[in-house]
Amino acid sequence: MLKLTPSKKRTIFFIAIGWALLLIGDRIGELRQYQGSFVAMYALAIASIILLTGYSGQLSLGHSALMAVGAYAGALSINNLHLHPAIALVIATFVAGLFGLLLGFGVARLSGPYLAGTTLALAVSLPTLANQFPILGGEQGVVFDVGLPPARFGENFSQYKWFFWISTLAVLIMLWLISNFVSSRYGRTFRAIRDNETAAALAGLNTGRLKVLAFAISSGMAGLAGGLLVMLISGVSPSAFPLSLSFSLLTGAVVTGVYSLRGVMLGGLVLVAIPEIADSLVTRIGGSEGFTATLPGFLVSALLILAVLFAPNGPGTLLHTFKKHH
Amino acid sequence: MIKLITAILTALTTGAIYALMSTALVLVWRSTRIINFAQAGQAVLSTYIGYEVTVRTGSFWVGVVAAMIFGALLGAVIDRFFMRPIFKRIQSGPILMIAPVVATLGLLGIIQSIIGFKWGLTYQSLAAPVSTDGYTLFDRVIAFSPFNLLVVVFATVSMLLLTLLFQKTNIGLALRASAHSPEIARLSGIKVDFIRTLGWALAGAAGGLAGMLYIPSSYLYPNAMDVLLVFGFVAAVIGGLESLFGAVAGAMLLGFAISFATSYVSEKLVFPMAFIMLIVVLLIRPAGIFSKKKGRRD
Repeated sequence: MLKLTPSKKRTIFFIAIGWALLLIGDRIGELRQYQGSFVAMYALAIASIILLTGYSGQLSLGHSALMAVGAYAGALSINNLHLHPAIALVIATFVAGLFGLLLGFGVARLSGPYLAGTTLALAVSLPTLANQFPILGGEQGVVFDVGLPPARFGENFSQYKWFFWISTLAVLIMLWLISNFVSSRYGRTFRAIRDNETAAALAGLNTGRLKVLAFAISSGMAGLAGGLLVMLISGVSPSAFPLSLSFSLLTGAVVTGVYSLRGVMLGGLVLVAIPEIADSLVTRIGGSEGFTATLPGFLVSALLILAVLFAPNGPGTLLHTFKKHH
Repeated sequence: MIKLITAILTALTTGAIYALMSTALVLVWRSTRIINFAQAGQAVLSTYIGYEVTVRTGSFWVGVVAAMIFGALLGAVIDRFFMRPIFKRIQSGPILMIAPVVATLGLLGIIQSIIGFKWGLTYQSLAAPVSTDGYTLFDRVIAFSPFNLLVVVFATVSMLLLTLLFQKTNIGLALRASAHSPEIARLSGIKVDFIRTLGWALAGAAGGLAGMLYIPSSYLYPNAMDVLLVFGFVAAVIGGLESLFGAVAGAMLLGFAISFATSYVSEKLVFPMAFIMLIVVLLIRPAGIFSKKKGRRD
């Protein structure tokens, strides 16, 4: 019997998921493919929050802004530099990561409410900045077009399936890299800092530098998610990145359990499902325009509060306590 | 010259409103070590109540009183029946660090959705009780109206009253003692939990007043005060989060910085200016520019 190292097991696990998704992608309709792409994109964005909050103990409300940075970087490199979309997504990742690195020098050493408030200010102020530069296209924004699927896939290969492939592949690669990263030495040092910063510093860790690093990596992940998001809505504008996006991501992270990357797909599913559930609720019970427009936000917030009250460490612990009681 | 005068007067008006919001944030922070992100929601809901009362009674002043009373009650209820139970439940574990932020954010969402359910997302306007046409100075109309003057006066008076409450009354002493050291205050017979709820109530009233003074120059909709929350936070951090004087001074500083940047450089610098000030203060004096303590990063 072949003995596998954990990292090899992980690689095989990710390849298996990729294979399964490839097969699933062939058997579902265009709407589900489109939604599936959103699930993948949200899962990555949630993973970026989890890496930051669950692994290094920082809380950011500014990830919508970081996603916007990645999205604009990707769009500009396609439109103005005429780069290949795949390279544009890599650029989106690195530009957002670099932005996060610079920002991290300023804010990552802050903690708790200070960091939350500062990143909140970032999320509110950054999208308004986009209106200042003509190259970013103002309120209308700029297009983000990855182009038609390659001809060799045949004529029946739809645009949605192409989106689904790009999203899931990009997200799987990124999550694979990140899951390797968090099980490396760095993941352990991050958790050490999260659990007791003083002890970590006494053990010789450069906590300030490591926090900045975590912030930068998390930003890069958010940047890639932002690039994928605007690919799916085929354009990037300031209004695509409202503050409520940051709140949704936080909800997704808390619902899946902030301390483990395992449940990110579930978080993505929840975020895609909530508007659907709200829609079907509205068609069933009816309601005013205000009700219809506000219901998704209400569900997100209610879920956030319930999750933090009843399963503060993720649904896994809920199951655990349930077993203990019965 | 006109430009300079206008910039100063605008700074005073915006600074006064920021000061009310930052005071609300500081009151809650001092008593519970929570940055209350739901403050924006509480303030805007109070303003909706004030708006309804104003429409029904025809008097803006009754509306202001209603908004402040409702704001105070809402603040007290939130602390007593939401925050306190949550923190009884969550007393340990890594989630403790993010729970306050997450809880207040969730609450913000809930409050804003309730407003959406009840009033819809449409923009309503609240008529100011006095003229909003600018005064004429040297034959030119400036961007400072009788209503702006009223805002400044109201904010100043409420700050003075709050200072009197804190410095001259027993309740004020209890508030300061509980903020300074809850354990010792409890041992000296102060009902710290009650005082804590009182802090939330005072903050709620300040938020309601801020809303009633801000909305006539803008519109009333569920997210109307989100921006003020950010400015209030920036002002509170500039002032060090601990002192009421710091909160007001920080708000004025922010008001002046934004007003001068927008009138002398570019109209669009409102948010960037606030963000730059926040980052600069956090980098240079994280404990706030009026603080004598060194380092406050936790």
